[in-house]
Amino acid sequence: MSFTTFVTDKAGLQKFYEAVMASRETYAPVEKFGKFDFKRVARLSECDPVSPIAKTLSIKPLFFPRTAKVMKYVATSAGTDVSEVDEDPLAVKRVILGAKHCDARSLQVLDKVYNWDYIDTDYQKRRENTVIISTRCDKADTHCFCTSLDYDVENLDALDVLVVNGADGKTYLEARTAKGEALLGETFTSDAVRVTKEEAAPEMKKQYDAFAASFRLKMDYKEVNAKLAKIFDTPEFENVSGNCVSCNTCAFVCPTCHCFKISDEKVKDTGVRYKSYDSCNNGYFTLMAGGHNPRPVKYRRWRQRAMHKFVYYKERFGENLCVGCGKCTISCPVNISIFEVVSQVSAAAGNRQ
Amino acid sequence: MNYTKQIQDIAAKLFAEGKIDVFVGYRMNGFDENQVPVLITDPQDVSKLVFTDKSVFNLVNYLKTDHTRRKRVGIVVKGCDSRSLNLMLTESQVKRENLYVVGICCEGVVDDAGEKMQNCTDCMVPDAVVSDEMLGTAVSGSGTLTYKKNADIVALAEKPLTERAAYFEEVFENCIRCNACRHSCPLCYCAKCCIDQETATLYNGANTTSAAFHALMTWSLHLAGRCVDCRNCEKACPSHLPLHLLHKQNESVIYENFQEHLAGVIPEDRGAFYKYSLKDPDDFIM
Amino acid sequence: MEQLLVPMICKVDKVIQETPDIRTYRLTFREEGLMDQFSYLPGQFVEFSLLGSGECTFCISSSATRKGYFDCSIKKAGVVTADIHTSLEEGDEVGIRGPFGNWFPLEDIKGKNLLFVGGGIGLAPLRSLIQYCIDNRSDYKDFTILYGARTSADMCYKDEIKEWQDNKSLNVVLTIDKPEETWTTNVGVVPKILEEVVKPVIENTKVITCGPPIMIKYTIQSLVKLGFADKDIITTLEMKMQCGLGKCGRCNIGSTYVCKDGPVFTNEQLKSLPDEF
Repeated sequence: MSFTTFVTDKAGLQKFYEAVMASRETYAPVEKFGKFDFKRVARLSECDPVSPIAKTLSIKPLFFPRTAKVMKYVATSAGTDVSEVDEDPLAVKRVILGAKHCDARSLQVLDKVYNWDYIDTDYQKRRENTVIISTRCDKADTHCFCTSLDYDVENLDALDVLVVNGADGKTYLEARTAKGEALLGETFTSDAVRVTKEEAAPEMKKQYDAFAASFRLKMDYKEVNAKLAKIFDTPEFENVSGNCVSCNTCAFVCPTCHCFKISDEKVKDTGVRYKSYDSCNNGYFTLMAGGHNPRPVKYRRWRQRAMHKFVYYKERFGENLCVGCGKCTISCPVNISIFEVVSQVSAAAGNRQ
Repeated sequence: MNYTKQIQDIAAKLFAEGKIDVFVGYRMNGFDENQVPVLITDPQDVSKLVFTDKSVFNLVNYLKTDHTRRKRVGIVVKGCDSRSLNLMLTESQVKRENLYVVGICCEGVVDDAGEKMQNCTDCMVPDAVVSDEMLGTAVSGSGTLTYKKNADIVALAEKPLTERAAYFEEVFENCIRCNACRHSCPLCYCAKCCIDQETATLYNGANTTSAAFHALMTWSLHLAGRCVDCRNCEKACPSHLPLHLLHKQNESVIYENFQEHLAGVIPEDRGAFYKYSLKDPDDFIM
Repeated sequence: MEQLLVPMICKVDKVIQETPDIRTYRLTFREEGLMDQFSYLPGQFVEFSLLGSGECTFCISSSATRKGYFDCSIKKAGVVTADIHTSLEEGDEVGIRGPFGNWFPLEDIKGKNLLFVGGGIGLAPLRSLIQYCIDNRSDYKDFTILYGARTSADMCYKDEIKEWQDNKSLNVVLTIDKPEETWTTNVGVVPKILEEVVKPVIENTKVITCGPPIMIKYTIQSLVKLGFADKDIITTLEMKMQCGLGKCGRCNIGSTYVCKDGPVFTNEQLKSLPDEF
């Protein structure tokens, strides 16, 4: 199936966004306290579709909410009643504006874990009903390394509509999936010019090349995968985790971290059960009743984090559990970079052999 | 303010004399002008150490981690950091004989944008109050510093109660419940925090406004009379929440009502909530 | 996934105080007909909610060959289990999700000699398989059960152990850690009794073991020393779990999810995992 490409200008893009907002529920980055989080918006003026990547939280909460109600219950001596919760507000037909490429990619990575064995139907429904419009970044941030990982950033099909700000001052819109094609067809009514893929290609390629050249960080993920897999017991993990304060922020802002905990909130006889984020850097993540803890010290937890991202998930599901967005490093109070950690540890492996 | 050379020399000397196992200081983060904490165990690495007005993070936080526990530690402390160290000592969390403390007469540190941090402009205790060795000349001079009520607190206090409530609702709504504020606080050292209970309570891990409210309020009250305004919590918050408002409000109430008490300034001072004085106000008793 | 996390309500039919800190809860589903649909195999586990307190993971300690109920044996260890012990009585209701996880390799052990080595509450998952094998006794050859506990009072399933002892086709060996006046048989830790008293036949034998982590460790060492092949040593792992669905990441060891790929592993499989349990 071939998809449409349009050329327009800034005003045309704005019109498109407004038309989208009028037709579907829209989520976009909204600023609060200097940080952008994806929230439901009604007007374009409330949000910033090109919010800086370093200041924007991921779109993960729109698919895997920070807290989801599992059930409500009443437990008295007379008996117990469990009732399901209200309809999922995230499962409606909706559009996400201003998602970054790395955000979009993270959903492809998460699909793997949510769709093996027990299928997470809620997640699936949210995925199916969402159209993602993503503007390609013009410049890499200090901590970005998406181009170093196992996905094709230029031809990413995790997003539905691609927006590129060409160097020629024009704005290019390209449908990447059937969902995106449908949205463009429905809402793109301005005086934009339909062009063929080939016509738009040179300018889009130029933009991508400039973007790809702006990366400070580069690594060979295959080498990292292979080396990390061999050095489970290296003391280097103790060094790299030294200044970690175990604050868990990295996992909470990470677009691919998906560990969660189940907790209850109960007042008198009625309670609610929640499913909320958790982190493997948390000291009692694996603590068992009775006191046994397989990962009682910080470096072991860090090892789990790094290995899960670059070895275990790859072994199991064939993807790196990292999209190179750098959000963990930006949010970390002491700027620990997953990039630095895995590079340093795999370099140590190289020295050892 | 640049004590890079002095600190490197001190660390090298301590390692050479076998007085410490680990030195906690700052290093350049490797990609821009900012610094990150570093724990040095290899004497060869002391050349990584730096200290300038970019040395922001309160290092006392590391005294509660696996990497320093039961070890002899050299540590750099600014005025505010030293106050939290004082409290750690008073609360028996670290042993003084295991520490070698390099105190700084701090002229104030700057944030990522290069502007002087707000807590530094309001600072009452710029010079380290615990040390084995001091660097620089006393900033507090002849003790002429006066208590400045935080400008944000004053502004907030002027608003009607409903507006204040609405404001904090907004703050709690944006909390993502990662608890980074708590983990990065040097004085939150409990092995199991009361807001992490596994049984069903209001203090669960859920990301609801009520749970965030309970967690942050409980947290700030546990730190009332103990918070030293180092802003580690704010630095750690991924949502950039103005957490200092909670702490500074407590601080000003305690300062005004409990004989100008400031946390951790006097060694062995257990804090306003832990001691009784006849001068304590009692007008709240019905 | 949220609906997969919603439990079904079960009624407590019977509470058996096994030891001072272990209780067995006999459960049936409140909704009619569900109990007959609830099919499980020895080694699987359930997520057990004391609503208002929390959710815990317990193995099913009975066998589906015994119809009309299932058992969970619970040792008082943490916050929720303490709540269960103090507040959960006959007639009360609990939430159950499951069954989850894999099961003992029933095909592999057919026609083999069986040696069960259990310690303390570790007999619970073994009991499920023991019951299953007793109910299909003709499928197996020699049948030995070695069970150890700290003291005679700490032995669970005392009545059932008596039945096993009376069953001529089973060989039951009991041991306690320290001598007691009324105790007439073996004294000593499980690995020692295994080597000195049981002296198992290695040929054509499958060993199934469970107990506290430290006991499992030394028992496996003894078994290997006695000459058992890694693939013939089967154990069931204890790991913190929460969802049981292979999603929440808690039980992750290497690329393995203990709640999906386990909790039953052979020693051969364990050796290929990172040393983290």
